[in-house]
Amino acid sequence: MSRVFLDNVSLTFHLRQCGRVPFKEFVVRQMFRKSRNPITEVRALRNIQLEAHEGDRVGVIGHNGAGKSTLLKLLAGIYPPTSGTRIVEGQISSLFELTLGFEMEANGWENIAFRSYLQGATPKTVRSKIESIAEFSELGEFLDMPVRYYSSGMLLRLAFSISTSIEPEVLLVDEVLSAGDLAFQDKARARMYGMMEKAKVIVMVSHDLKSISNLCNHVIWLDHGTIRMVGRPEEVIPQYAQHMHKAAKLAA
Amino acid sequence: MTAYVTSIWRCRHFWFSLVKMDLRTRYRRSMLGIGWSLLNPIAMTTVLCTVYCNLFGMNLKELGPQILGGLAFWGFVSASALQGAQSLYQGEAYIRQYPAPMAIYPLRVVLGAGFHLLIALSVVIALTWALRGFDNLAMLPTVVPVLLLLLVFGWSLATLTGLANVYFPDTFHILEVGLQILFYATPIIIPEDLLRQRGLGWMADYNPLAALLETVRRPLISGEAPPISSYLVACITVLLMFSVATFTLHRLQRRVIFHM
Repeated sequence: MSRVFLDNVSLTFHLRQCGRVPFKEFVVRQMFRKSRNPITEVRALRNIQLEAHEGDRVGVIGHNGAGKSTLLKLLAGIYPPTSGTRIVEGQISSLFELTLGFEMEANGWENIAFRSYLQGATPKTVRSKIESIAEFSELGEFLDMPVRYYSSGMLLRLAFSISTSIEPEVLLVDEVLSAGDLAFQDKARARMYGMMEKAKVIVMVSHDLKSISNLCNHVIWLDHGTIRMVGRPEEVIPQYAQHMHKAAKLAA
Repeated sequence: MTAYVTSIWRCRHFWFSLVKMDLRTRYRRSMLGIGWSLLNPIAMTTVLCTVYCNLFGMNLKELGPQILGGLAFWGFVSASALQGAQSLYQGEAYIRQYPAPMAIYPLRVVLGAGFHLLIALSVVIALTWALRGFDNLAMLPTVVPVLLLLLVFGWSLATLTGLANVYFPDTFHILEVGLQILFYATPIIIPEDLLRQRGLGWMADYNPLAALLETVRRPLISGEAPPISSYLVACITVLLMFSVATFTLHRLQRRVIFHM
């Protein structure tokens, strides 16, 4: 059984105006109790309620900085909630910040192995799928080169090919529907859809309202860290589009 | 705790392959690379031996293995501290994508440093055999458990410095200074007898690192057993470090991401 459940979840970031405090300043401050580097609170998520069961495809929409990616990272277990309950059952696979997490000195083949291991593969399973990953990435002999020399497009291809080679239970996707150049994009989209069909629960963030309404049966509209509206795509998306339209008009 | 260890074990393929890659990069796929990476301690030993033997008329046969052994040990300690400080940042991209246990990032660094220590110690053994014969053979097995102890020590150190570095950006700077002081406060390049003659024996007596060093170095180079007290101090030190490291990691590991 795969399941995603958030009950009254809030997440607050405590940020410092001028970055991290050096140890010497920390000591000095303990002695004189004067700080010129105050902590700012950013309430990234507030009282989020979310429940998704097997077969559910949840789309998350909202303006930039609404907390969409933060929500995904919280679901993935990377950010612990400040308050509330987070329950995720089933193996989580996440597709975000794809091009990060490469060992720059290692070549493409080695990086395929590293990242597959991190996704829970074993040497045996890696051996069985490494060829198909390489083939899908179309990187050919570039795979023998250290990743350091790759262009950003090549990195994205490689990352996408590895990350979509799994059969996920709980799939978290952040804006990766368009990967690489045009020719690759079509292929990527097909592969993505194929993977999504196999996934049991999906939570995806996208600004592409069309794909959200095509793929999802449930939409959450986030606004400044709170849920503004929840419902079926045909209910939420028109409202959201209208709102965005109004905001754009006001700005103009 | 058991669940945590299991989760480390579950991603063993990941961190183990990273360690292997680190070593490959370090030694550049050649025997020369291994020799090259030992250039620093070997050169330093040569220089120091030349100075000590000519100036103070000390015995090369004793001094050579002793200094090289000390430097090998110190190389491991300082690598654990300094590379450990960077270990979490090194793994930042992974930390931001997957909730793998934080302990594997210092582990990656320490296993690499540990492998290097093994190579350096085998050179020490070879040097001892060449200069002093094979009387250390009987004591060699006693070094194995001590090496495991050292590994735990290195991991604890790396974990603590790694976490400190996330919270305080000047950790590296402090560590460099601190390590320099400790280097001279531990009988690494200054023979312990010399310290005692000058009334500085306390520096070795009250320094847990000196005890740890004794338990590795003495059986290797002289074939003598280190005093029980050294083992005791070494065990207590490592246990303490390990407890502090696991406790701190347990407290901070979920919140570390907010500070990166």
